[in-house]
Amino acid sequence: MMPLAMMRDGEVGRVVAVYGGRGLMRRLAELGFTRGERVKVLRSGPGPILVLVKGSRVALGHGVAMKILVSGDRE
Amino acid sequence: MIRVALIGNPNVGKSLMFNNLTGGKAHVGNWPGKTVEKKVGVCVHRGVKMEIIDLPGTYSLTARSVDELIARNFIVEEKPDVVVDIVDASNLERNLYLTLQLLELEANVVVALNKFDVARALGYDIDVEKLSKLLGVPVIPTVATTKEGIEELKDAIIEAARRKRRPPRIEYGREIEEIITAVEEAIKKDVTLVERYPTRWLAIKLLEGDEEVLKLVEKSPYRDEIMEALS
Repeated sequence: MMPLAMMRDGEVGRVVAVYGGRGLMRRLAELGFTRGERVKVLRSGPGPILVLVKGSRVALGHGVAMKILVSGDRE
Repeated sequence: MIRVALIGNPNVGKSLMFNNLTGGKAHVGNWPGKTVEKKVGVCVHRGVKMEIIDLPGTYSLTARSVDELIARNFIVEEKPDVVVDIVDASNLERNLYLTLQLLELEANVVVALNKFDVARALGYDIDVEKLSKLLGVPVIPTVATTKEGIEELKDAIIEAARRKRRPPRIEYGREIEEIITAVEEAIKKDVTLVERYPTRWLAIKLLEGDEEVLKLVEKSPYRDEIMEALS
């Protein structure tokens, strides 16, 4: 397991947990970062990252991406 | 004239749908006080004139971003006759979240199941009739790129404007429902709020800690009673 911010280009994983306040947790859930959801890093950091989640590309700041814990998903 | 608002997630083909409905002719301005584009066009179908208002693309209707707030305030305060929710048929799970929020807002929703061709190509077999039954609103498959289903959509809009139905209720389970009812009862004492907003929606938003709705309630003479029901 690792924070989403630390994943590399093209890596795929599943959301294990989101650490944040109520507002951030809700916002991320609305963007598609719910537990168990498959995510794919399209462009990794340093800095903001681009992620594919539930069929949409979402850009996240580094700080926010550090709060999303992801487990590796070998395909 | 029927007032129709178009809403949908980003990238569902909303602009194309707007152009299909209005023939591409639009009056473009800004939302009052906001640097967000407002597009308004006209559509005449079977002798009925419709004003089409394009709302900003948004994933949800919380009070967080300007776009979301514009869309939400328009639906709550201007009460359009019909809200056309453009849904990406190839990405239903994500898109139906907004649909449920619109139903909770008690909007008169018509769902345009757009990109139906893409969904079909992906092998998705969507039971349109069942989806319509589950949501309690008309669902029309469309392909904005080829104008498939546009005439049917226009028919559905006019039909929906004629008979306004109460949208189905989304149940939250006994425990939460009890609190929602208590908060709603307190809200109902304030006639101004009752006239302007769906009371159940207000109660749910208060429980979510929605800042805009909290501000509204702050101004109510029944503020203390409402807040007490909340705690």
